Amino acid sequence: MCFQNLPIEFDEQGRAYLREEVENPYAYQRHEIDRSRIEELLARNGHIKDVNIDPVTRVAGALAFHSVVDLKERRVYEANSVATLFRGYEVILKGRDPRDAMFISSRVCGVCGGVHSVASSLAIEMAFGIAPPPLGLALRNIQLALDFCLDNPLHLYILAGPDFSEVVVKNTNPSLWERAKKAETRHADVHGYETIAEIMTALNPLTGQLYLEGLNATRVPREAYAILYGKYPHPQTVVPGGLSTTVSLKELNETHNRIVRTLDFGKKGVFIWNELTDFFYDADPRYKEVGKRPKNLMDTGIWDDPFAYDGTYANAPEWGLRRWATPGIVIDGELVTTNLHHINVGLEEFVEHSYYEDWSNETLRHRFDPAGNPISPHHPWNKETKPAPVHKRSWKDRYTWDTCPRWDRHVMEAGTYARMWTTAAAQQLPHTRFLESTGHSLKMHVPKTVLPAMDLEWRIPEVWNAFERNRNRAYHIVYCQLVAYENLLLAMDLLKRGYTKVATPYEVPQDHRIGVGFWGAGRGWLTHHLEMDKGALINYQIITPSTINAAPVDPFGNPGAYEEAVLNTPILEEFDKPEEFTGIDIFRAIRSFDPCMPCTTHIYADDHVVSREVNTCGCGIE
Amino acid sequence: MPQRLIVSPTTADIAEPLADEQSRNFPNQVGNVAGATMDELAERLMKRAGREEMPGPLKKVVVFWMSGMGCDGCTISTLGATEPTVEELLTGSIPGVPIVVLHHYAASIESGDAFTHALEQAAKGELDDPYVIVYEGSIPDENLTVYGEPWAAEGSLPTWAPDEERRSVPTAEWVYRLAPGAAATIAIGTCATWGGIPAAEGNPTGAMSVMDFLGEEYRSAYGLPVINVPGCAPVGDNFTETVAMLLLFLNKQAPLPEFDEIGRPAWLFKETVHRHCPRAGWYEEGTFAEEYGDRECLVEIGCWGPVVNCNITERGAVGHMGGCMVAGGVCIGCTMPGFPDKFTPFYKKPPGSTFSTTGSRLLGMFVRPLRRLSQLERNRESRWHDEVPSGWALEYDTTTVTHKVVEYFYHKLQYFRAEKPGRQDEVEQYSSGWVTPAEAAYGEHYQVLPEKRAKLAARHNAPRREWTAPQALEREVPVSPSVDPYGLVHHDLEERE
Repeated sequence: MCFQNLPIEFDEQGRAYLREEVENPYAYQRHEIDRSRIEELLARNGHIKDVNIDPVTRVAGALAFHSVVDLKERRVYEANSVATLFRGYEVILKGRDPRDAMFISSRVCGVCGGVHSVASSLAIEMAFGIAPPPLGLALRNIQLALDFCLDNPLHLYILAGPDFSEVVVKNTNPSLWERAKKAETRHADVHGYETIAEIMTALNPLTGQLYLEGLNATRVPREAYAILYGKYPHPQTVVPGGLSTTVSLKELNETHNRIVRTLDFGKKGVFIWNELTDFFYDADPRYKEVGKRPKNLMDTGIWDDPFAYDGTYANAPEWGLRRWATPGIVIDGELVTTNLHHINVGLEEFVEHSYYEDWSNETLRHRFDPAGNPISPHHPWNKETKPAPVHKRSWKDRYTWDTCPRWDRHVMEAGTYARMWTTAAAQQLPHTRFLESTGHSLKMHVPKTVLPAMDLEWRIPEVWNAFERNRNRAYHIVYCQLVAYENLLLAMDLLKRGYTKVATPYEVPQDHRIGVGFWGAGRGWLTHHLEMDKGALINYQIITPSTINAAPVDPFGNPGAYEEAVLNTPILEEFDKPEEFTGIDIFRAIRSFDPCMPCTTHIYADDHVVSREVNTCGCGIE
Repeated sequence: MPQRLIVSPTTADIAEPLADEQSRNFPNQVGNVAGATMDELAERLMKRAGREEMPGPLKKVVVFWMSGMGCDGCTISTLGATEPTVEELLTGSIPGVPIVVLHHYAASIESGDAFTHALEQAAKGELDDPYVIVYEGSIPDENLTVYGEPWAAEGSLPTWAPDEERRSVPTAEWVYRLAPGAAATIAIGTCATWGGIPAAEGNPTGAMSVMDFLGEEYRSAYGLPVINVPGCAPVGDNFTETVAMLLLFLNKQAPLPEFDEIGRPAWLFKETVHRHCPRAGWYEEGTFAEEYGDRECLVEIGCWGPVVNCNITERGAVGHMGGCMVAGGVCIGCTMPGFPDKFTPFYKKPPGSTFSTTGSRLLGMFVRPLRRLSQLERNRESRWHDEVPSGWALEYDTTTVTHKVVEYFYHKLQYFRAEKPGRQDEVEQYSSGWVTPAEAAYGEHYQVLPEKRAKLAARHNAPRREWTAPQALEREVPVSPSVDPYGLVHHDLEERE
């Protein structure tokens, strides 16, 4: 079955159980980091360099990165991703009314806007035993698709874009710039740029057309977001069991106009990032190695079917498959499961290389999830977090405020591409008005706007690297626009038919409850796990996409996704002397993940220990 | 796409270096991917796009935007602002507002030491240009991390030192070192202004606001206490507007704008958010939302608007669109120093509202029926008397005797010592005796519907066109077919609200 490392098997009904002969099914031997070879290399060779980047800019929040680079061999020997911020949200949430969690957890990340408050409301709904009415779900889908329509352009044109701009390419790879001036584009009819160099000039910070358009393009979906959610970021109308938005045709029309106005920029973006990617591949095939890592990706799915979602854990595998993005786990490029239970029970979180104390297995609260599947002592529902600001940074030991989430002890990656990958590969997508899952691609039928109607197709890539991440993000914008558009048409229909309720009434339960919200952000999936009793939260924990991607080395010795991507990155920039090395290839690898460090924050609260939150927010790199 | 002031690029070449740039001489180039810092790119823009011909003594201001225990929401909010936009500030496009060099971890082209270098220079007092600090997020108590890594750090020092000689620099330390020399220190967002959520009850980090951290005695180099633009996240326009106004002041182009006793821009935060709320009228009539999604006043489902200083209902959230209560979200007091703990549990009715809503309910009991009566009459043309001749009017509020009586006296009152429209008095008639064509054709009671006019016309021998009488319906009205792309069952109308 889908688990290779954890001793989990399934009976005929598909229920998970632990193989009986394994004595301590979740025990492991900690693998120590051995730096002796690297230290020796560093001491001996002038061309092997300690590269500290603190902070890594043009990411959301505080990230630092340390690497050891061989400038002669042009390869990376060591890479460490460092989160330098801790805020303690989970401690703050502990003992509060669960309804406060939506507003407080939203503040975990101001980049991902409402994704946390919605994930929180999903977890609360599961705990309360309620589900939103259809219109509430459709509106939720619209908003959380629009969220990414502004989040992704922000990344492509403001954060990552400048790495492919004239000012940077001219400086780091003059020969590439010369080549770009001669490289004609294939789709000037769509985007208006005759050569690759023109695209690069348009990506210049401050003055470039695409930079400025990108900034402006983030405002249009924001307006639509504010119309239905009150404000952006940190929406004001998310409530347990739906929304508190007052909706009429006015709001839907205003939203409709804004979705439509973003479509042209979405279409253009796909062609621009296709041209850029192909240009780099043609110029030097080694660019396919930049940010390369194994095709291990996961996603929990997002955007619920208004007529299928019931908010229960028991039915999560069914309603999960009805989502506009199919949940799934991809190992070595193969889809191994689409079942939300499997995804949940495989989750574990480790803190061996983070500034936390491990928690004791003796306080294990949950051996099984509510459906009877076994869960690890390291599962979020069991986790106790103890921040320990007593450790000095050491590449051999602890070096980040981020924790290390794993699925089945594999190093997984989260992202827009994971979402589209599982959706494309699973062929389960029930919503085919604009989208089609073919098993190897996701087809998008984009209606006519100023630009003509287009059939765009994102194909699951053969190589997995930084360029494919960015290329996918451009397609993901269009994907989200279409999800928003389809849900908007659905909402208009629902309103007309009298499905006017946007929220389901509830009472705050006083008994012991447990819940999880499986949702998504602009850079991949996220989960909120909560436990409550006597009307108050006793445990709350968040895993975000950047928690996973920015993770440090795990106890089994495997580096996190950023680290792995940087380790595989060849140094392709042009320089004569070691001092001239800028690290652009490393930056492209890191930024391709769209790091969001505020989001990497963990929120955790527990009875007995000081809860902690890890924030991978913009840490300084070392 | 709506057009903003700047949507087309300037043609200034910012890829070619100027002669005296420093960053290419840094001991190593790691992170300096463009071979230029944001400051140098701004210089290129100024020199090549004629931005130097700016009024006022200041041509350029460096903004050090630092984030402590924040979520980047203030940054994101600011990027969405349109009054002015960030690109207008960054490209020096507003006369009198110096070009803003934004030194920000999410926007700067340079990373690592190339980025930290400017902070270091400012801390040493070696920066040529005046600078402003913008601080986002709350300030943790780093006394709790004496033996470990800081709660919140940005950059490491010394720059360009080997790995083992470096230390992470807490953002709090940067504030401590940079604030005295800053032209102004601006706290953006509720974390930085009042502590916000990271400083809420139960927090493990001892977090606090910038104002609390710097103390009551703090004054910037220009003599200003900490400026506070609160909100979680703040309305982006509130921030960029404050910055633009402040830069005009620093550049001697405008007076210092007014701030209130806790450093908030007074013109933005003087009023309660309820006063501009589109739902305030419901409050006045004593009608309140009972469920999420209702369109009435939200006070009884948890809104604190009547006691919260904020302008989001007036200004909107983004591009003048949205706003919490405009959309249907309760006010949770996110701009207030007491946020969050003085407003929790969220969605529980504020206790103080019981008294006032009872009052408005009592008043509303009298006001509402009277208003509906007047409203009904005003929803009628003067040509309608007993019936409403609309094709839509399958049902219409009927006029009762009470209504007629009330309206009679209302009418009297309305025109008591006031001029009723029309030529009532002899001196108001035309002296020649001329009457309007309508009156000539139908007499003085010409304000009637066509059927009645036909009769009046006959009495006055007025000429008629054949096609002016309303037509009788001679064909069946088609009913639009129901489109059901989702195969939904038709919903029972009774479930409608």
